Amino acid sequence: MTVLLEREAKKGTAPARPPRRRSRALVIAQARPWLLLTPALILLGALLLWPLVRVFLFSLQDYGLREIVSGDSNYIGFGNYAEIFSNSTLWTVVLPNTVGFALVSVSATVVFGTLVAMLMASLSPVWRTIVGSAVMVAWAMPAVTGTYVWIWIFDADQGLVNETLKSLGLMNESFNWFTNPFTFYAIVALNIVHHGFPFVAITVLAGLLGVPKEMLEAAEMDGAGPVRRFFAIIYPTLKPVFSVVIILSTIWDFKVFAQIYLMPGGSGSNREVLNLGVWSYVESFGQNRYGFGAAIAVLLTVLLLIITAIYVRTLFKEEKE
Amino acid sequence: MKKRYLPIAMFAIAALGLTACSGGGTDSPTDDTLDVWIMQGTNPDTEAFFDTVGDAFTEKTGATLNVEFVQWADAHDRFVTAIAGGTTPDIAETGTTWTAEFADSGALAPIDDYVAEAGLEDDLVQGLVDSGTYDGSLFGMPWYAGVRSIIYRTDVFAELGLAAPTTWQEIVDAATVIQAERPDLIPFPVPGDAEMLTYPWVWGAGGEVSTLEGDQWVSGLDADEAREGIRFYTGLATEHGFSSAGATTWKETDLLDNFSQGTVAMAISGSWTPATVLEKAPELEGKIGAIAIPGQNGGISPSVLGGSHLSMFEGSENKDLAWDFMELMTTGDFAQQWADQTGYFAGTESLLQPTIESDDPLVQPFAEQMVDGGASLPVTPTFGAVQAKKTTNAMIQSILSGQKTVDEATTDAAAEMNDIMNGN
Repeated sequence: MTVLLEREAKKGTAPARPPRRRSRALVIAQARPWLLLTPALILLGALLLWPLVRVFLFSLQDYGLREIVSGDSNYIGFGNYAEIFSNSTLWTVVLPNTVGFALVSVSATVVFGTLVAMLMASLSPVWRTIVGSAVMVAWAMPAVTGTYVWIWIFDADQGLVNETLKSLGLMNESFNWFTNPFTFYAIVALNIVHHGFPFVAITVLAGLLGVPKEMLEAAEMDGAGPVRRFFAIIYPTLKPVFSVVIILSTIWDFKVFAQIYLMPGGSGSNREVLNLGVWSYVESFGQNRYGFGAAIAVLLTVLLLIITAIYVRTLFKEEKE
Repeated sequence: MKKRYLPIAMFAIAALGLTACSGGGTDSPTDDTLDVWIMQGTNPDTEAFFDTVGDAFTEKTGATLNVEFVQWADAHDRFVTAIAGGTTPDIAETGTTWTAEFADSGALAPIDDYVAEAGLEDDLVQGLVDSGTYDGSLFGMPWYAGVRSIIYRTDVFAELGLAAPTTWQEIVDAATVIQAERPDLIPFPVPGDAEMLTYPWVWGAGGEVSTLEGDQWVSGLDADEAREGIRFYTGLATEHGFSSAGATTWKETDLLDNFSQGTVAMAISGSWTPATVLEKAPELEGKIGAIAIPGQNGGISPSVLGGSHLSMFEGSENKDLAWDFMELMTTGDFAQQWADQTGYFAGTESLLQPTIESDDPLVQPFAEQMVDGGASLPVTPTFGAVQAKKTTNAMIQSILSGQKTVDEATTDAAAEMNDIMNGN
């Protein structure tokens, strides 16, 4: 580019100096964004890229406490990956639990969050503030605290749910909700939706307030009901917002750990409720097999990248059409 | 001109920042400071205790003692990160099941020579020496030991005219009466997430957890004797209904909480727990008794001898000073005080003897259990992996929740244990 410009400058009859100066200015202009980005890129490289590379290198090793102490590396090729893929628990319990749970809780979170957002959009500013603060409280609650509250509510011997069911005569004996995988994950889903919907509600609300009122009024005049108005006007306008919300929720719900690990039986003693997060922790950190854990982390990252890529692609395709 | 100095200044600041970070790790073990990590929660008044120890240590050696308190829950991770970053303390309290694991990694220093020089070899409690020995060397200095027995409500037993059980059948008989007469109590909870409470029944029936045959570990959990013990233990819940629905997912701490709330009649519990129970529930004063875990037909069922070692890290720059501290802590007055305050047993025979002869009804049965019925789990780093994977817990919980029969669950658990321990 610069060479070309210089040649042109030589050909030109105009005094030689100004174009040359212009070309130098152009070089600087081109480099400027990169120059400005350099500090951020160096920071990202040091904080994100290097650890990522390290994790990948660990995943190719049989890396345990002994290697940590000695500092030696111990490459075994793709042995860890082979072990992961040949693990039957992964295919029969861990993946079905993780994927099924992510599907259910992401859709529940997004639907419930959107409904709350629409409620808030139709409220007066005073009430919107009140509901908004109430929603924020659920968001601000630490995951650990929230989990313990749900555990107490569903406690088998003294929990609110069992006591209520028993006093209503619907149940004769106490039932332990944590031993059955379905009821276990129903409680986790309640916990996750409760903790996750405020983010969806607030984000969607911000989008909703940007939907032109005239359009909605015009649609109403034309006889469109609330459902039609949502799918014909609000949803298409808010599509980018929904995509962000769905991608983020998917990533979070795939990685859920504390909310399961802290539940009774969730830390490995009930094998039927293992999910990817807890399983990888038990198999790697619990047993000091950091290389194996790194391999799981690499696979999880790749999996989430694929999901995100597919989702973003379909989104852009639809937009083009 | 000013501009030119800016990058230099920034580099200087960055360099300062970097050295500040690394400095925290490397220059702490200097000659006159000893860094020690101690677990929190063993002694209700840990800090006051170590203030006194620190003063005595300074008086004796002239060095300063820097004690850091670590939570049991995140201690293992902190050890690992410290090892990785080269910021280990000089000495740390290590749980008996961890010592072999850290010794295997090469992070700990052997202390045989120090022990021999101090003439302590024959005075150390054998159970703790066993768990602190790896590859023929002693890596963990016995500090304190604990053992689990049965604690029960003496007021309930007196009210119903029951005697403390001495065989497994008598446990069932007593629990049957309690179940009928005191429906507000859980007669004998069987927690589904507490492995240490399982082993007494395995050993009591003549079974083994895992034994080394040649160079292979062979789990005995699927042998007939072990199955009989596990069938009896889980049967207390599944056949007799002496447990509760909630107990299926209880940890040991949940069991203790419920005992403190006064809803439990009998429970397997550690020698260190009666004090905690009475602190939480003073109204139970005088209503708690303890017995060694009965054998199947009399005698005692062995239970796990747990506790803590003091371990010296290989990275310590002042091992002689570290040994001075170890000796101060594990022998003499401080060891005695620690045992008295915590309800654990001292790690040396000479200090243990008076405790064994004690007639305190909340001490004597535990002492009896420790001396006549103390047993050790396999001493190998791989058993730590078995514990981390919760093999035994999963076995018990799957039986309690009805997912598996005793035979299925024990077969699976034994296979998993063999896989992990033989490194497959």
